[in-house]
Amino acid sequence: MEISIAPLNLLAIAPQIVVSVTALVVLLVGLFLPEEHRGRIAWPSLAGVLIAAGLLYYLWDRNDLTLSAMLRTDGYSLFLNLIILIAAALAILFSVDYAGRVRLPRTEYYSLLLLSTTGMMLMTAAVNLITLFLALEMLSIALYVLVGLNRAEQRSGEAAIKYLVLGAFSSGFLLYGMALVYGQVGSMALDDVRVHLLSTGSQSPVLLWLGLGLMLIGFGFKVALVPFHMWTPDVYQGAPTSVTAFMSAGTKVAGFAALGRVTLVAFSGLQNVWIWVLAVLAALTMTIGNLAALRQTNLKRMLAYSSIAHAGYVLVGLTAANRTGLDAVFFYLFIYAFMNTGAFAVLIAAHRLGSSPVAGENLDDLAGLAEHRPWLAAAMALLMFSLTGVPPLAGFLGKLYLFSAAVEAGLIWLAILGVLNSVVSAYYYLRVVVTMYMRDKKGAEVVPAPLCPALQLGIAVAAIATVFWGLWPASILNLVTITTRSFFGG
Amino acid sequence: MAIIMAILSGFALTVVAPWLCRLARGATGWIIALQPVGLAFYFASQLHPIAAGGVIALSYPWVPGLGIALSFYVDGLSLLFALLISGIGALVVIYAGGYLGEHPQAGRFYALILMFMASMLGLVLAGNVITMFVFWELTSLSSFLLIGFDHQREAARAAALQALLVTGAGGLALLAGLLLLGQAGGSLELSTLLNEGRAIQSHPLYLSILLLILVGAFTKSAQVPFHFWLPGAMEAPTPVSAYLHSATMVKAGVYLLARLSPVLGGSEAWHYLVTGAGTATMLLGAAVALWQTDLKRILAYSTVSTLGALVLLLGMDTVLSVKAAMLFLLVHALYKGALFLIAGAVDHETGTREVTRLGRLARAMPVTAVAAGLAALSMAGLPPMLGFINKELLYEAKLQAPRASVLVTSAGVLANMFLVAVAGIVGFAPFFGRRADPPRMPHEAPLAMLVGPAVLAGLGLVCGLFPDAASIVVSAAAGAVRAEVTAVELKLWHGINPVLGLSLLTVAAGVGLYAARGFLRRAGSIGDAIGRWGPRRWYSLLLASLNGLARVQTRLLQSGYLRRYLMVIVLTTVALVGSTLLLRGGLTEPVPSLLDARFYEWTIAALILLATLMAVLSPSRLAAAAALSVIGYGVALLYMLFSAPDLAMTQFAVETLTVILFVLVVYRLPRFASLSSRRARLRDAAIALLAGGLMTALVLTAMTLPRDLHLATYFAENSLLLAKGRNVVNAILVDFRALDTLGEITVLAVAGIGIYALLRLRLEEPADSGSSQPEEEV
Repeated sequence: MEISIAPLNLLAIAPQIVVSVTALVVLLVGLFLPEEHRGRIAWPSLAGVLIAAGLLYYLWDRNDLTLSAMLRTDGYSLFLNLIILIAAALAILFSVDYAGRVRLPRTEYYSLLLLSTTGMMLMTAAVNLITLFLALEMLSIALYVLVGLNRAEQRSGEAAIKYLVLGAFSSGFLLYGMALVYGQVGSMALDDVRVHLLSTGSQSPVLLWLGLGLMLIGFGFKVALVPFHMWTPDVYQGAPTSVTAFMSAGTKVAGFAALGRVTLVAFSGLQNVWIWVLAVLAALTMTIGNLAALRQTNLKRMLAYSSIAHAGYVLVGLTAANRTGLDAVFFYLFIYAFMNTGAFAVLIAAHRLGSSPVAGENLDDLAGLAEHRPWLAAAMALLMFSLTGVPPLAGFLGKLYLFSAAVEAGLIWLAILGVLNSVVSAYYYLRVVVTMYMRDKKGAEVVPAPLCPALQLGIAVAAIATVFWGLWPASILNLVTITTRSFFGG
Repeated sequence: MAIIMAILSGFALTVVAPWLCRLARGATGWIIALQPVGLAFYFASQLHPIAAGGVIALSYPWVPGLGIALSFYVDGLSLLFALLISGIGALVVIYAGGYLGEHPQAGRFYALILMFMASMLGLVLAGNVITMFVFWELTSLSSFLLIGFDHQREAARAAALQALLVTGAGGLALLAGLLLLGQAGGSLELSTLLNEGRAIQSHPLYLSILLLILVGAFTKSAQVPFHFWLPGAMEAPTPVSAYLHSATMVKAGVYLLARLSPVLGGSEAWHYLVTGAGTATMLLGAAVALWQTDLKRILAYSTVSTLGALVLLLGMDTVLSVKAAMLFLLVHALYKGALFLIAGAVDHETGTREVTRLGRLARAMPVTAVAAGLAALSMAGLPPMLGFINKELLYEAKLQAPRASVLVTSAGVLANMFLVAVAGIVGFAPFFGRRADPPRMPHEAPLAMLVGPAVLAGLGLVCGLFPDAASIVVSAAAGAVRAEVTAVELKLWHGINPVLGLSLLTVAAGVGLYAARGFLRRAGSIGDAIGRWGPRRWYSLLLASLNGLARVQTRLLQSGYLRRYLMVIVLTTVALVGSTLLLRGGLTEPVPSLLDARFYEWTIAALILLATLMAVLSPSRLAAAAALSVIGYGVALLYMLFSAPDLAMTQFAVETLTVILFVLVVYRLPRFASLSSRRARLRDAAIALLAGGLMTALVLTAMTLPRDLHLATYFAENSLLLAKGRNVVNAILVDFRALDTLGEITVLAVAGIGIYALLRLRLEEPADSGSSQPEEEV
């Protein structure tokens, strides 16, 4: 047999290259900058991210296989990479002031952030199990470190250890699953797995089933599906808030990208099997995530659980396994990146306004925010309403899309469960709004601290996005439908 | 286009209202009222074309992928509601100017009430069910913000949240129902759905659709058992109660039922569910109202009763009942709006709303008293008010009901008796009654607070005397609901017939109840009993149990201990993968016999097992690390035996490095602490064995497969040819799969950076906070 080696098409992965090169440049530049000027590293990092986003635009209607058919640059990866870059850009904006204030080593911080971004961007493009795994490890290892970067906080270290140990475990399962699949198919390429399954039909061999099961566990850990979610609140709470903001959006996009390619492409032949597994996981994830969030008074933990619940909603769209479903997943992830990172950014702002190292983390810290920071409170209220799914904000449209897809696929019980879950979630999101608007600040000391303009810009962008794409979703939906059409069209 | 402007202008005004309020101060109400007044005139001008059967429909794309458009559909039903919303809206805004005075938050109030008005208009004018839902939720949201307007008080906050949770939950049920409806009817556009009634009623999803939509409508319109939020919502400022919680928002559920009755109505299920809920609500509301002593709560419960009556009429679904319902909508909005505003004025002037302390106000507040009297007459259904015509029509419709006419008629008469008494209590007793010890001596209310009650109560009288204007609106609305031209002729005198007899009976009994109200109050209260056992209790129980469930699952899953998390992950894996293995018949192929193994293999395997045991049991870290390395070396030896020296060498190198690292680190760590009990250890051992067993089974399954050697042959043949290297492994690493190797190096580099970053940072001072708290408790 002949193994053909395709010509090296580096242009197709230019965005990833730009981000990783930026990471290295940033690392070098940091070495020569004195400590007090290292905050400026944020700007070249941001520039790198924006250039990469520009390249995405340039590459828009491509469908290229590159690096020996290891990566595919198509609408699927380009659109998801756009979301990842948005999350990264927002996270950088949020870090400008915060990273210095909690005394993170900024050179390494920005560099790792960008490397993790690179990993995520490779993951969306990976069409081979090997690249998938490498990309996953690349993003994870950078994140393990980022989570533990706040050495002044014991919780940060604890979070990092938990994340590392559990992450290593789940990576092990993932790898084992991949090995079993390879053992059966004789190839790591997702397309080969698909072809193999089509040829075997319903007689598909047990190894593929087992491989799929183990891989689902691995991905389930990354996107925090119940029951592989337990690390999330501990890690989200312990990590520096800007890192939490970034990972809550970025890892989910990357994880769902991989999950989507594996289920919809490679294992499309086993669709009637994994649909049920995913449906059950989605139901569990939504329900347990929302229930657990109910009782949280620590906002970082609450948002962690809420992010678990949102992973459940997104999974509903994937479970539908039709075009509307994928449309919904893409649109939701896009909106979610703004909503969730924005909400964490408000916590960063509240941290600035308080004096203790955990200021802004507790519900009480937001009491009376509407009184002395009306714009910040308004932004947070918008984000909370959007996360609840209150029309006409973008979060509502996203949920509507997801649940419509489930109805279309005949998974009516799942759609109804999703709606019920939204009711439960209203309780804890609204509690934030009530606290900000209807309760008075205790202790009466209001720090008149100015907020960093970059942070303000980031929050404003996130809040406006939830309104804008709720009212005028057509611009982004057109992009989404073109993408998914080419994905399903072959 | 004018329709869009009607809605958008409201939202635009919402934005500028706070600034306007700062400029215009006391006159703000009058200025803002210009907008709803203009709208009311616009809608009135559309009356004739629409009464003739015309429909205004327009559509703009919004989310084309899902068939959601920003479309509007205006027929007689929409128009009736639009007139009520804009007309009463204008009066309420004017009234609010006097009610709030120089309230520091007045700007916020105007903004919110305008937002509500625009949303409510959007709701009744929308032509796409999802667009309608969007406005539906916006009305719930603005209601929430308005109830909690006076947020200093805990009661207001709690009531606001309760109202939002109940209506919000119902709203989401409605959303689910609408999505299913779209699925069954093939479109989300009202104009299409209205013609798909037959197809939808025979669809297998019909019952789910109906139930979900009814939950939405019933929560919004405060039907039993969801009615309890409405009396609670009386924490809102009075103009809000008059406008949202009596005249408009709570009627949204009625609007929805009327709107969808051509699609969903007429079936058995519809009839029993809608009529049943309506009857229960009507009776309960009327009965409880009599025992209340707070003016606003009395009015709230009587509103509940009216909403029940409206739902009941729509459930009957005859031409006559729909006509009666449409007229009732109008009548009720007029008299109840007036009474609420009057209650606010009384409260404003005297400082109390307790009916037991009010009386003889007529002298001090003559205009208010006249308005109150007229509104009460209309409410009691006495001639020559529009309320009288309405009651006649109600009874007629009920007498001619196709099913259970005796039952619904007697229920209606009973409820109306109570309402006659209630009308006396709120509209007559405070002004003409004898008892009086208000906290403040009253004056007549300011002009702004007189316009609303006077106009509304006056309209009740004028329309009673000259019912033609009302009949145009009502027949247009009824025609839209019935989807046929429906002529409604309203007149005061129908002649002597059974209906008149029922009316007389109602009034006589009502007056009797009114006279006996003091005695009844002392005798005990239905309201208390219902409060104790009613759905409000279930609501708090539900909230408490949700909280409990949350606590239990948190304690179970979120212990904060890494080992527990690992346990769950491992067990889930064993369950998921193990069950697949069993169900799909893995391991059915014969496993290669163990006896084939050679002596060396047996020895090494025994060594590995021993080392494993030692690693697990040893109390010292150093010994455990050493045992682990023995396992590694053992595996390397196995590689040797199977003639893979390169692999074995790598393994030796890695193992050696690991041992060195281990020893370096272990040196600085304390000895193992004994953390687990004996039982926990046994459990852990069992789990470990399960996981190990699963892995073994997986390996054995994999071994039974035919081996695919094409890669091996390919590399063996081509490594010299293509890569110019005799060492196949080297050639694979640096040539064939060079990019993978590069990737791995990158990953290692990242790890290196990470470790470097961690090492460089020395802990400057030990953090004073303890270890993390695993769980937060509320």
